[in-house]
Amino acid sequence: MRFTVNGMEHDVKSPPLASLLHELREELHVTSPKAGCEQGGCGACTVFVDGEPRRACLLPLAAVDGATITTVEGLGTPDELSPVQAAFEQHYAAQCGFCTAGFLIAATALVQRQPDASRDDVLEALSGHVCRCTGYVKIVSAVEAALRGDAQPEEVEPSFEPEEAEVLIPGSPA
Amino acid sequence: MVLAGGTILMPELNYGRLRPERVLLLQEAGLTGIHRDGSSLTIAAMTTLADLEDAPEPLATTARSVADHEIRAQATLGGNLCAPPGGERPRGDLQAALIALGASVRSVGKDGERTEAVEDFLAGGTDDRLVLEVGLEEPRRAGHASLRRPHTHSYTILAVCAAETSGGVRVGVTGAGLTGIRARSVEQALAGGASPEDAAPKVLDDAKPQDDALASAWYRERMLPVLVRRALDDLEGGQ
Amino acid sequence: MKAVGARLPRYDGVAHVTGRTTYVDDVRVPGTLSVKALRSPHHHAGITRLDTQKAEAIPGVYAIVTHADVPKNVYGHLEALGIPADEPLLAEDDVRYKGQPIAAVAAVDDDTAREAVEAIEIEYEERPSFFDVRKALDDDWPTIHQWGAVYPHFGPYNHRRVRKGDVERAFDQADTIVEGVYRPQAIEHCPIEPQTALVVPEANGRLTIHSCTQAMYFSMGVVAAHLEWPLNKLKFVGGTVGGGFGGKVDTATETICALLAIKSKRPVKWRWTREEEFLASSTRAPWHIEIADAVTSDGWILGRRTLTLHDSGAYARFSPYGLTKHAFHHTGAYTIPNVHFDGFVIFTNRVPTTAMRGFGVTSVSFAVETHMNRIAEVLGIDPLQIRLKNANRIGDTTANRVVLKDPSTVPVVLAAADRVGYDLPPEYRSMTSERRTGDLLPEHLAGQLGSEDGGDG
Repeated sequence: MRFTVNGMEHDVKSPPLASLLHELREELHVTSPKAGCEQGGCGACTVFVDGEPRRACLLPLAAVDGATITTVEGLGTPDELSPVQAAFEQHYAAQCGFCTAGFLIAATALVQRQPDASRDDVLEALSGHVCRCTGYVKIVSAVEAALRGDAQPEEVEPSFEPEEAEVLIPGSPA
Repeated sequence: MVLAGGTILMPELNYGRLRPERVLLLQEAGLTGIHRDGSSLTIAAMTTLADLEDAPEPLATTARSVADHEIRAQATLGGNLCAPPGGERPRGDLQAALIALGASVRSVGKDGERTEAVEDFLAGGTDDRLVLEVGLEEPRRAGHASLRRPHTHSYTILAVCAAETSGGVRVGVTGAGLTGIRARSVEQALAGGASPEDAAPKVLDDAKPQDDALASAWYRERMLPVLVRRALDDLEGGQ
Repeated sequence: MKAVGARLPRYDGVAHVTGRTTYVDDVRVPGTLSVKALRSPHHHAGITRLDTQKAEAIPGVYAIVTHADVPKNVYGHLEALGIPADEPLLAEDDVRYKGQPIAAVAAVDDDTAREAVEAIEIEYEERPSFFDVRKALDDDWPTIHQWGAVYPHFGPYNHRRVRKGDVERAFDQADTIVEGVYRPQAIEHCPIEPQTALVVPEANGRLTIHSCTQAMYFSMGVVAAHLEWPLNKLKFVGGTVGGGFGGKVDTATETICALLAIKSKRPVKWRWTREEEFLASSTRAPWHIEIADAVTSDGWILGRRTLTLHDSGAYARFSPYGLTKHAFHHTGAYTIPNVHFDGFVIFTNRVPTTAMRGFGVTSVSFAVETHMNRIAEVLGIDPLQIRLKNANRIGDTTANRVVLKDPSTVPVVLAAADRVGYDLPPEYRSMTSERRTGDLLPEHLAGQLGSEDGGDG
């Protein structure tokens, strides 16, 4: 079996029923997709398979023979972030970062297939991804910004300049 | 072991709970396509749930409600029909929709090929059958109601599908038994002239809700007649 | 303070969005073995037989460890805080929660490790299990823990106590007693990154331990204590934690991996499955909190009785510490001059509980705030007015005998009311934190004001 990962062809080393996630992480050392649950429930293993977002932990290698796989490593680099990556970075859409790769793939897929997606469409497209750190708000903001073609966040926070902050407690050091 | 989409079996393989000696992979088996002939549809077993999002109601809404975008793109009609009973949460959401549509299943197995109603297929045990395709007729009207609570994420606690075809009105239920069930008592009451309000409580004659990780039997027993009522109201108001 | 309010990029932001952040499971060392554990299937049982011989003979199995391999099997994580040791790293005579680790295997791959776990011969003698903390002080509560039903080392007491003033008198003088029971439940931390450790034996006899711990030096101390090794033989490599929230302090994987690395002389990695996370990882504790307040019909809280039952699970871990923090906050942001607080740490057969964001305090905060609303409802008084009236002020003495110098209850409540457009009458709108006088200093509060120069009251 052979497949292409981020533009490079590889012979598949693991047995046919091993998961794509296992092959990517353990044999090819492509570690952006994460083993969060190995049940398809958390979304952290999501990668592009022939241009569509899929759970790498649920795909046996036999099902991706000859396929074209793209992971976050293939979306952009630190010097050249993709628009979705830039939007995530600008909006603080990652805290611990462990779920981020999965969200990036799902978000990139949405922006490509539905450039006029509404907020509801965004929520639906991301609904298979769990994040325990961020509370999702900034992730959704980042995806909406990417849909607008704009990495920069709207001016929302902070709502006041430091000099304007009211001193709430007289005499306190702040 | 037969592997269709893989969404149900791969976790078992990943966790080492299943170590099959031989596996039949259906990806290249040619079991794809939705064929229309007038108002009849034949849907091949490897059709994904994503491809069912434009199917006739209540199948479309049911398919759209399963899990999420990535899972729906991988999970198949055949796999969902044959889903082993879920101990922790209901499985096989499509079963109730297909029961309501009066769909038939063509399958092969040790005793050859057969075509039968979905509820009969389920009752016969799906372990040693390979689903080839499902046949159904576009309904005149359809209705759907389901219970979703935020903490259950993408799983269905309880859902009711209703449809009227040339065979009459049928009602299917997810989440009140080991598989999808047909609410014959409700159908009979309706056929006998009962209103949706009077027919709905009859569902408890057919359904035996269980406790599971998502909800208690107690809660399901109370909500099920309400959902049947809503599905029937949806049917009344619908096209 | 130029950084405050400024928009600064996260130092790890670009690494996160390019998939380059390295977590423990991303570290590759050639020859690394996989680890799987034998875990108790019972909530409570004696272990009558444990034999790993057959499992050790399986090809591809490099090492198996049990309690016999641990130089110091029972080590208390908080011995330095006066909480004695009670929990074995690997179970010896009994198991007290479902999922408790008994043995661990290092093998060439996951399948072989699982096979070896299944081949370990073990016999259990099941015992009754108990989960209802309300029954802990009954005579027929069974012995789960060697210390009895509750943690007994709060000084001379078997509970954490706070006493101030005369609660009996307060209850006699009250116009109404308002009671409530609050039971916040257990929560799984459920970080997307499961517990993971990779331990590499070095040629010079040291161990390099890649850990997902939130507390590097703390975990280093735990491992060193179990191994009875000097700290300088351990090299901990931390890094980005894929979510911890308090659940990655327990040092759940490092020591067992260290033992396997020592025994097998190979690098070993243990990555918990999601099922192990839900089964065996520690959780936030369930709490049972009973509050009874003696109140006047015009909204003063004269006194409070509190009983807290803290479900520690099978072992103490950090529970006594959590309960102590909980006790400090049991009057909330309000001044209650007469208090009687009793808190018990109770041993049950659930998974041992641990820290989680706001350890000990979120439970009592939830209870206290809900109770304030209940008082407001019973008395027919606005819930913000109740809070402003009883709010901490300068000079008030807390139940822990701290004289307050700069409490922020009043300005914060007023600021919040202002932001949401909440209607308050002028005498409330003009309240401040200033030392109580006049109407804000009724008789029952007169004796509890501390001295103005900040001395201990």
